[in-house]
Amino acid sequence: MSEDKVRSIDGATVELLEKARKENISTAFTRADEIKPCPIGIEESCCKICAMGPCRLPRSKKDVAKERKGVCGATIDTVVARNFARKIAAGAASHSDHAREVVETFIKTARGKAQEFVIKDEIKLLAVALDFGIAIEGRDIKDIAIELGEKALKEFGKQHGELIYISKAPLKRQEIWRKYGVVPRGIDREVVEIMHRTHMGVDQDYRHIIQQATRTALADGWGGSMISTDLQDIMFGTPVPVLGRINLGVLKEEQVNVIVHGHEPLLPELLVVASRDPEIKALTEKAGAKGINLAGMCCSANEVLMRHGIPCAGNFLQQELALVTGAVEVMTVDVQCEMQGLQSVAECFHTKLITTSDRAKIEGALHIEFHPEDGLDTAKKILKMAIENYPNRRHAVYIPDHSQDIVAGFSHETINYLLGGLFRASYRPLNDNIINGRIRGVAGVVGCNNVRTPHDEGHITMIKELIKNDVIVLTTGCAAMACGKAGLLTPEAAQQFAGSGLAEVCEAVGIPPVLHLGSCVDNSRILIAATAMVKEGGLGDDISDLPAAGAAPEWMSEKALAIGQYFVASGVFTVFGTTWPTLGSENVTKHLFEEYEEMYKGMWAYEPDHEKAAQLMIAHIDKKRKALGLEKARERVLFDMAMRRALE
Amino acid sequence: MSEYTYEEKENFEGTKVKVLGPTYDEGKPVEKDDWQAKLGSRGDMLGYLRTALRYWYSKEWYGSEKRKQEA
Ligand code: SF4
Repeated sequence: MSEDKVRSIDGATVELLEKARKENISTAFTRADEIKPCPIGIEESCCKICAMGPCRLPRSKKDVAKERKGVCGATIDTVVARNFARKIAAGAASHSDHAREVVETFIKTARGKAQEFVIKDEIKLLAVALDFGIAIEGRDIKDIAIELGEKALKEFGKQHGELIYISKAPLKRQEIWRKYGVVPRGIDREVVEIMHRTHMGVDQDYRHIIQQATRTALADGWGGSMISTDLQDIMFGTPVPVLGRINLGVLKEEQVNVIVHGHEPLLPELLVVASRDPEIKALTEKAGAKGINLAGMCCSANEVLMRHGIPCAGNFLQQELALVTGAVEVMTVDVQCEMQGLQSVAECFHTKLITTSDRAKIEGALHIEFHPEDGLDTAKKILKMAIENYPNRRHAVYIPDHSQDIVAGFSHETINYLLGGLFRASYRPLNDNIINGRIRGVAGVVGCNNVRTPHDEGHITMIKELIKNDVIVLTTGCAAMACGKAGLLTPEAAQQFAGSGLAEVCEAVGIPPVLHLGSCVDNSRILIAATAMVKEGGLGDDISDLPAAGAAPEWMSEKALAIGQYFVASGVFTVFGTTWPTLGSENVTKHLFEEYEEMYKGMWAYEPDHEKAAQLMIAHIDKKRKALGLEKARERVLFDMAMRRALE
Repeated sequence: MSEYTYEEKENFEGTKVKVLGPTYDEGKPVEKDDWQAKLGSRGDMLGYLRTALRYWYSKEWYGSEKRKQEA
C-alpha cells in the first residue's frame, strides 16, 4: 500500500497526493509529517496569556499527583478551562461574524441596495419575522425585511435580556439554561466576556469559566449560526433536495474551472448568476474553452450545491489538491478554513488565488473585495480573470476520474414536508418510526477533516456503523461531503448500507439514510429539527429525552468545539475523535464528560476509534429508548408517505 | 406498486419489516422539487406556517408541551 493510501480513503485524494509528492509540492499532508503536535499543547497544559510565562504545566512523569501551578498560582484546571473557553469564543465569533456579514447584506438587499440580490423566500421571511415579534399583517415584504434585518443586527450588540431564538427551544431546555445562568444576552457580549474573564488574573474557577463558554456557545448555535441560516434562506431560498456531483472529478479539462472556497454564500451566489451571463459565455468561447465550470469547496460548496446543484470539488483536506490538478484557473476564498499553503501551491501552477473578504487577506494572493452594492460586477470581473487565465495553463492537467452523485438540500422544512406533505407536514412519521422501532434513533455527524487522522475515514466508518444499526444520520459541513463521496447521500444507499428498519422507512419516504442539511452554520437546522421532534410529542419533552447523539470524528477547528459545546448544552451526547483539548486537566474533563450530564442532560465524550465511538452513540440512543419505555418495539402500520403526498 | 417485490427482514429489535430490496426505485431528484412554490398567496403562506410549522406558529399546537404553556 502506498503511504498516501493510509492518509485518505478517497481515491481522488490519494492520486493527487501521489502527484504532489512526485512534483515536490508541499501540502498539509507533507507538512504534518514534518511537524509533530506539541505534547504539552495537545493537552492544553500551557498558558501564555501573560509575560511572566509562558507557563508549561505538563504532568510530572515521576509524580503524576504533583500539583501543577503557573507563576501566578493558576492551577492546571484554570489554565485548561481558559484555553478551552477561548477556543469556543473564537468558534462562536467566526460563525457569528459570518452572520453579521449576512445581516448587513440582508438589510442592503431589503433596501434594494445589493446588486442582484432579492428576497427570494417570502414564507421564511414571514416565519422569521414572527420569531422576532414583527407585525406582518398588511405590510409588504420590503418593510418586514428591513425591520427584521435591523432587529437581527441588534442581537449582536444586545447587553441585557435573552437572544430571541432562545424561545424556539423546547420549554424544558429553556428552563435548564435559565437555571444555570447560561442564556446568552447578546452575541458579541458573550464573546467579549470570555476574553475578559480569561485575561490574566480574572476568572479563576474552572466551572465558572466553562459556564461562560457554554453561554457563548449557545450564542453561536441559537444565535449567530441560526441567524446566518435563516437570513441566507430568505435571500437565496430554503434548500430543497437537489441532485449534484461531488469530488475532484467534477473539474473539467476543457472548461474554465473556478472554485469557490470558504463559508459565506454571498459572492458564490453571484458567481452562479454571472457564470450564466451571455457576455461571460461569449468570452469563454472566444478563449477556446467549452464553458465555465463553477465548483465549490468546503462550506461554500455546500451552500451553492444545495441551492443550485453546483458541483462540489471536495472537502477541507482537498483544497490544495484541487490546485494540484493544474486545471483551476481561479480559486476564490472568503473566510474560515482556507489554508495559507494554498498560495504556494497556486504558484506552482497558473492558478490565481483571490481573497474576497475585507476581513481576510493571504500574502501573495490577489485581493478583490466583495461588496453587496456591486457584487455582480465583482463576480463578472473574477470570471473574466479566470477566462483570461485559461490559456496560461503551464502543466499537463491531471483530473482524477472520481466523482459521485449526491442528493443535498434537506432543510428542516423540507424534511417536515417529505414526511407528511404540504399541509400535513409533520415530524409525526419520524417520531412514530422511532417509537415503533424501525428507526432506532437519530445522529448528527458533522465537522471537519483533520490531517492527523486518515481523511474521511472517521466519518464514513462511524456513519456506516450508525445506519447499519438503523440510526438515521443528519450531516453537515465536511462530514456531509465525505458521505457524498462515499455514496451515502443517494436514496439507493439505504438498500446498500442501512439496517432493514431504516431502509424500509427510507424507501417509503424516498430519502437517503444520511441527510445532507448544509454547511456548518446549518447545524442550527439540526437544533430546530430536534426541537420539532420534541414538540411533536411522544419522545419526551426535551432534546435530551430523544434517542439521539452527535459526533465530529475528524474535528480540527475552534468552530467545531463551539458547535459541540452548544449541542452538549442543548442536551445532546456528543463524541469527538482525533484529539481532545482538556486532557491536561482531570477536573475540567470530568466536569464536561460527567457533571454536564447531571446539569444539562448532555455531555461530551472522546473516542478516537470511530467504530467504538459509533457504538457509544448507539448505547446512548438505547439508554434513551429505554428511558422512554421503547425497549420493545410497538408494531404500527407505516405511513406510506409517497401516497400521502400524492393526495395533494 | 404491484411490480415491486418485497423481502421480509428483521430490524435491530427483531421486528419483521418489509424492504423492497433489488426492486427499490432509486428516485434521485432529476428536477428541483420546489414544493414551496405551491403556496402562492400570503394567506396560503400563513396557513402553511400555522399547520406545517405549528410547533412554533400555531396557538392550538403545544405537542409535548400541552400541559405546560404555549410554546
Ligand atoms: S497567567 Fe499565570 S499561568 Fe498564565 S502565563 Fe501568566 S503567570 Fe503563567
